[in-house]
Amino acid sequence: MEKGKKPMKLKELAESLVTFGKVNGADEVEISILDGYEFSVDVRLGKIENLVEAGSRSLGLRVIKDKKTAFASSSDLSKEALEHLVKNAIKRTKLASPDEFSGLPALSKKRVDIPSLKLFDPEIPSLDSEKKIALATETEKIALEDKRITNSHGSSFETTEIRIIFANSNGFLEEYEQTFCGLSIGLLAGGTDNQVEDYWSSSKLHFKELDSPEEVAKKAVERTVRQIKPRKIKTQKVPVIFEPTMTSWLLGFLFGCVSGVSIYKKTSFLVDKLGKRIGNERVTVYDDGLMPGRLGTRPFDAEGVPSQKTLVMDKGILKNYLCNTYAARKLKLKATGSSSGTSVSPSNFYLKAGNTPPEKIVSSLEKGLILIRTIGHGLNPVTGDISRGAFGLWVEKGEIVYPVSEITISGNLGEILNNIEVVGNDLDFRSPLAGPTIKIKELTVAGQ
Amino acid sequence: MKNPPSLAFEDHFNISLGDLQKILDISLSRGGDFSEIYLEYKIYNFINMEEDIIKETAESISLGLGIRVLSGEKTGYGYTNDLSFAKIKKTALTAASIASSRALREASPLSPVQFHHNFYPVLESPHKESLEKKISFVKETYHSAQNFDRKIKKVKVSFLDHTQFVTILNSEGLKVSDVRPLIKLACLAIAEKEDKRETGFSGGGGRVGMEYFSTDLTPKEIGQDAAKEALELLEAALPPAGEMPVVLAPGHSGVLVHEAVGHLLEADFIRKKTSIFWNKMGKKVGSSQVTIYDDPTIPYFRGSYNIDDEGTIPKKTLLIERGKMAGLLQDRLSAKLMRRPLTGHGRRQDYSCIPIPRMSNTYIDRGRYSPDEIIKSVEKGFYAHKFLGGQVEDSGKFTFSVSSGYLIENGKLTAPVKQATLIGTNIEILKNIAMIGSDLKFGLQTGTCGKEGQAIPVIDGCPTIKISRMTVGGQ
Repeated sequence: MEKGKKPMKLKELAESLVTFGKVNGADEVEISILDGYEFSVDVRLGKIENLVEAGSRSLGLRVIKDKKTAFASSSDLSKEALEHLVKNAIKRTKLASPDEFSGLPALSKKRVDIPSLKLFDPEIPSLDSEKKIALATETEKIALEDKRITNSHGSSFETTEIRIIFANSNGFLEEYEQTFCGLSIGLLAGGTDNQVEDYWSSSKLHFKELDSPEEVAKKAVERTVRQIKPRKIKTQKVPVIFEPTMTSWLLGFLFGCVSGVSIYKKTSFLVDKLGKRIGNERVTVYDDGLMPGRLGTRPFDAEGVPSQKTLVMDKGILKNYLCNTYAARKLKLKATGSSSGTSVSPSNFYLKAGNTPPEKIVSSLEKGLILIRTIGHGLNPVTGDISRGAFGLWVEKGEIVYPVSEITISGNLGEILNNIEVVGNDLDFRSPLAGPTIKIKELTVAGQ
Repeated sequence: MKNPPSLAFEDHFNISLGDLQKILDISLSRGGDFSEIYLEYKIYNFINMEEDIIKETAESISLGLGIRVLSGEKTGYGYTNDLSFAKIKKTALTAASIASSRALREASPLSPVQFHHNFYPVLESPHKESLEKKISFVKETYHSAQNFDRKIKKVKVSFLDHTQFVTILNSEGLKVSDVRPLIKLACLAIAEKEDKRETGFSGGGGRVGMEYFSTDLTPKEIGQDAAKEALELLEAALPPAGEMPVVLAPGHSGVLVHEAVGHLLEADFIRKKTSIFWNKMGKKVGSSQVTIYDDPTIPYFRGSYNIDDEGTIPKKTLLIERGKMAGLLQDRLSAKLMRRPLTGHGRRQDYSCIPIPRMSNTYIDRGRYSPDEIIKSVEKGFYAHKFLGGQVEDSGKFTFSVSSGYLIENGKLTAPVKQATLIGTNIEILKNIAMIGSDLKFGLQTGTCGKEGQAIPVIDGCPTIKISRMTVGGQ
């Protein structure tokens, strides 16, 4: 969206294209338009490195004729280009195969009250460039005051403002606006041949909820310096504590495995597990698109299905797969407002917090690893197997004794869900995938 | 090879050269040192087959321009897909605002550059080919995987092609265009046996024409390769964990050179002293058997380009010469700040992105050992065959995820193994390279590299390589 300019009539454009598609022979038509404005500044060693400011729009469409589907998208929003694209898509449906499960969702009677979701912060569009640059500069300045920090990847501040318009031939027509802001910094410590690095960031929909430059800088420093002079360890099986960022990472993998799309494609180890125990009683997981002001909140998904709160796992029992309309029809289930087009995406997907403070989880660990970062690939949803490069802190008698690197952790998500011994009370919705500190009974940590 | 057809960008952009010259002037109006306009028009087609049906087809058009202004070490950037002169002018002023100097420059008059090479002289341009033909290739791949064995229970095939028309103009008077085709046909096969389920993957393509699928790699072969891999993984065990000698298979293992060396020789990381190689130019950083190149000029390869995304003619670049650090991957900004020559490695994902130093086709050059000799030299170890990918940190720590491999016992490949993670630091691995084979190969023409949120097509390669010790993560 462009500041100070009346938004162009994108709603009318979406509606007219739906009509145009119907008139030209499509059975069903879906149009989504994204109108966005982006600002970002990168500051490194006190100087501005990059300053980006831009507005852009794009349109996506789906047409269905005789149960055959075609998609198209364009960043050229001229009427001629779009009408050509619609006509072409209708023509292309002939080349696809008929699919009884295809088609748009029926119009839902449920309506989400958009303002109650608090997606838009009017303060963000009104922030001036100087203030945004100062936030990044200040964050880095504070971090670099710590003498243990040897270099900086730079600090960034970004904001986006987007407007989403959605229309389909079943009579759905809605729009909403959303803001976002993020402050981040990456740091290095140790000597050239002993370098360690980490970063920290805060991302929010509302500016006043964003962590201060001081909070972001201090956290990034702490996360970086605690890794200085890492040791290698011998290969062994030990209890492993996941910090909240690592629990989020694990939840991302779980999300992929409870995705209705993975289930009907049989690319998940959780096929045919609905109603069955897949974890212990400490594991309760929700996907909730309706939490006011959270990063994963949205009034409706990419197909116009209203958001909801879905119980995914209830004390270890798998309760629901997360489905778009297509997966729901395939699996004879209900769509959960999770569509991101042909796939699904999490809204606020989180592990319910327990009662134990994270410090207590560490202090009660006799010997084991605190997992602080992983790198690489190595997740197999078909089996649930995990094998990743990792960084951690070694714990003995409840105390952190030294950092470790050049290790890999391996295990299986199914086993991990059954072996969560403690769930922390530190749930913080820092990302759409959120979880507190957890302790796993045992994982293989491979080293020397 | 013939010069590729230059882009008549006026067809898509409806802006005169005179107006663009004005925009370059406007973008220097606050005192920038350099300005540039990147115009991009991209058409994209996608076909997806799953569950025995053509599920969907997609067509996409991307049209827009990005304006960059450099002022010392600072970059101002704006982009738009609203191509009215007023909006472009506003974008130019946004980018211009990074500078605040009184020493105003004027943009040089534009003079079109014609180059006389074409690294992708395709016969059958993908965007001109009918959708029917592409669908027939998809079906052929699908059925080849499905019919390979009764244990193959699921297949997924996707075809995508895009054609990117770029024109780059800058305040030094450069005006140059390129048309880049890119095709990828990929197949995923899932095999099942009892309660085991495994996935195999194969694919091909590159900056090629449709003729590739009859001359280089047929859809049938792609389907079969994916099925074979899935079947073999059904019989595979998890690897033993710990430190051991590792032999890297030729081709696919090129991801090692990409991750462990290539990224750390990107000039921005060197200039910022965040790469552990920043102070090692000319110094020995690995075994003297190791020579590494990045070559954007290999015909038809996925990572190749006639000009980089700053309009520079690319060069085959020597990165490591017999164990010594010998070169860097440069873009314009880093080359200027470091006072080093351009190498033509400034790339960007699309018009909304700032160009940064990137790899193209990266490889370890061939050595003197036969692959058999190398395997025979290992009493007990791990043979890494195929990779899911890898990741590296500036500190040189990296991981690779191996999807399939074998145990080496008494100089022979024995039991198949799946899902291992290799981890180490690049300097250590480079030093521990004990033998390099004579069998240089490249991986699948399907790779994508991500850096700072920008995804670009790349490929990498290597011969068979023995690393004397490496940490393997398994069970």
